[in-house]
Amino acid sequence: MEKEEFAPVIKELMTQLAGKATEGQVAKDLDRFVNTYGVTLTAAKNGILKKYGATGRSGGSFVSGNAIIKKITELKGTEMNVDVTGKAIFSEKKEITARGVGKTIVSGILGDDTGTIPFTVWNDMEINKGECYTFRGAYTKKWNDQVQLNIGIRGKVEPAPDAKFTVPSNAGGSTAPVLKIGAITEKTRNTTVTGKLLSVDPRNITVKGEPKTVYGGLIADDTGKIQYTAWNDFKLETGATYTVKNAYIRSWKGIPQLNLGDRCEVARSDAEIKVAADKNTRRTVAEIMKTGGGLDFELTGLIVDLRSGSGLIGRCPQCNRTVLNGECRTHGKVEPIMDLRLKTTIDDGTGAISVVIGRADTEKLTGISLTDAQKMAADVSTTAVENKMAAAVLTKQITVRGNVMSDDFGPQLNARSVELKPVDITAAAEKLYGEVEANL
Amino acid sequence: MNARETAWRLFSTELNSATFEIKATEEKKPSYQLSRLGAMINRVLIVGVLTEKENVGTPDEPLWRGRIQDVASGTVFINVGRYQPEAGAALAELEPPCLVAMVGKVKSYTTEDQRTFVSVRPEHIVTVDEQVQHAWLLEAAQSTWDRLVLMKKALHCGDRTAEGLEKAGFPATACKGLSLAIETYGEEPDSASYLKAVQAALRTLLPDKNVDLGLPEDLSESPDEVDIEPAAAKGATEDMEETVLGLLDELDTDGKGAPREDLEKRAEAEGISSMELEEISNSLMDKGLVYEPNLRYLKKI
Repeated sequence: MEKEEFAPVIKELMTQLAGKATEGQVAKDLDRFVNTYGVTLTAAKNGILKKYGATGRSGGSFVSGNAIIKKITELKGTEMNVDVTGKAIFSEKKEITARGVGKTIVSGILGDDTGTIPFTVWNDMEINKGECYTFRGAYTKKWNDQVQLNIGIRGKVEPAPDAKFTVPSNAGGSTAPVLKIGAITEKTRNTTVTGKLLSVDPRNITVKGEPKTVYGGLIADDTGKIQYTAWNDFKLETGATYTVKNAYIRSWKGIPQLNLGDRCEVARSDAEIKVAADKNTRRTVAEIMKTGGGLDFELTGLIVDLRSGSGLIGRCPQCNRTVLNGECRTHGKVEPIMDLRLKTTIDDGTGAISVVIGRADTEKLTGISLTDAQKMAADVSTTAVENKMAAAVLTKQITVRGNVMSDDFGPQLNARSVELKPVDITAAAEKLYGEVEANL
Repeated sequence: MNARETAWRLFSTELNSATFEIKATEEKKPSYQLSRLGAMINRVLIVGVLTEKENVGTPDEPLWRGRIQDVASGTVFINVGRYQPEAGAALAELEPPCLVAMVGKVKSYTTEDQRTFVSVRPEHIVTVDEQVQHAWLLEAAQSTWDRLVLMKKALHCGDRTAEGLEKAGFPATACKGLSLAIETYGEEPDSASYLKAVQAALRTLLPDKNVDLGLPEDLSESPDEVDIEPAAAKGATEDMEETVLGLLDELDTDGKGAPREDLEKRAEAEGISSMELEEISNSLMDKGLVYEPNLRYLKKI
């Protein structure tokens, strides 16, 4: 870049630096950044401002000059500096405590012709529901797979009185899609469900230093069960059927949970709900992979692998976690409590999933009791226990039932019950024979 | 995160003809053998009779080879090397013949003249009872049939790209394999051989029913019917046996027997397919005319 081209940039920088550096210094730095090291002009400007400790950044021109303009559905959650114009569909002020200091922020939902997005403005200002605004110098983040728009110290919100938007009706707060409980996945945002309350338990918690009572339990329909938390007292009663409008989903380790918050409407329903029978919670591995997790699934498959950590294990008497060489990760040297478990991989032909089986079922499946295992470990080795168990369970067909959780290693089922359920092979073979004959 | 690859339940006919390898495009991604029915196979579950095992390595560093016959159709070759210590230790203890279940990774090997052999590297191999075998026969028969049906439907589709099939309502997980199989192997998979395997499985599972899918019968499978076959067909078999015996003489140059690979190549030149050769060598072995000094060789007595 030539000297002449630098002139306006230097001028801009000088304004922002407000006497913190001389024009000669800035010119020399800019030349070094751009011509010697080949960095972009934007990066060079930022570098120089950082170097001399400029404060007047929110002067406007610096930020807005570099921002890009995007529609809401184009936002990816990685934008550092973006301009978005839309209509405030919902807006409310919130009191938060940031680093020990009380502060008012504004959060809501912004919509344009393409879609909607939750936003947070990190200082107090008036954003009125139904009016249009341009969010300048905003940044986006992803939380729970949902993109969020933020206005921080470098951004600002300007009214856009001339803008007009037709916000798609499927989005926004008011019209959460009606779903069957079995169809809720960890990716679901808002939903409306009708189900029978299986349990209600009040829990006392502390929110922002104040005691609060929330209600939790299970709600079910004919396709499945889900845990819920009611953040307000909706006067819920066990055994009654409710339509829950506009509840939101949060997932814990892949298990979706229904949250009844401030914007949720709860009404009694006359619908006849047949609570999911056992067969309705039956899943194939492929189906579990799709939803990520859930409560009380049943699955039948073959044990195709036994992973390390199976067999005879020691647990920390304080935290119950497994102990390696007599040492707990948190509590150091401990006298472990011995236990049995199987970490299996179960394959049903549609996929493979990790299934952890506890002591009672391990004893049942392998025919080796904890006492036997301890004796064998003392006489031979713990590896011998593992090998013997492997030989006993590999390729056995089992039916397991339990909750499925997902983490970085994929979904895992913690077996609450394990059954060796022999299938009626003859009947199934006859059915297949009939099918083949009819379609040849 | 890579999901663990499922273990396909399939018969040896489908496995051994899955000669096309879908190579991994990135590091740490799995590769697959593509079956003619569109299964993308990385891992298999096979239950059958371990008919032989042989240590082709040293006693200290064993390298096991073996064969598992799946009753319904044919033979699966297995190779256990030093990276499968568990399966190796298990195999060392096994005494053929015995009924085993085996989970393992599928590998293929292509010779200089472009002939591809499919084998399995077992991760686990354990002895099982008939109950497990029957459950497996049922699952393998069911899934083979399901794939046959899907493939037939796919062949009737106008747009056979993976996207086209998915749009036409095929299960998302099956589309890529189906589309690739049609592209790689052509239009008509030999459904008779797969149906024959299904039929054999059903016959084992339903001994009281006279399971008959109306397929051309397998000679080695039903010796009773050989007698009533037309003389010409029988003559043809005998001719082929003569040819094979002749080839054995010719190929057995060092007294070790005839290498199976060479034999297959020569037999094919004589118009005998590898399936037929398998049948013929079985029948010759039954008659006590030939034997296998080891896995890869066939020798006249």
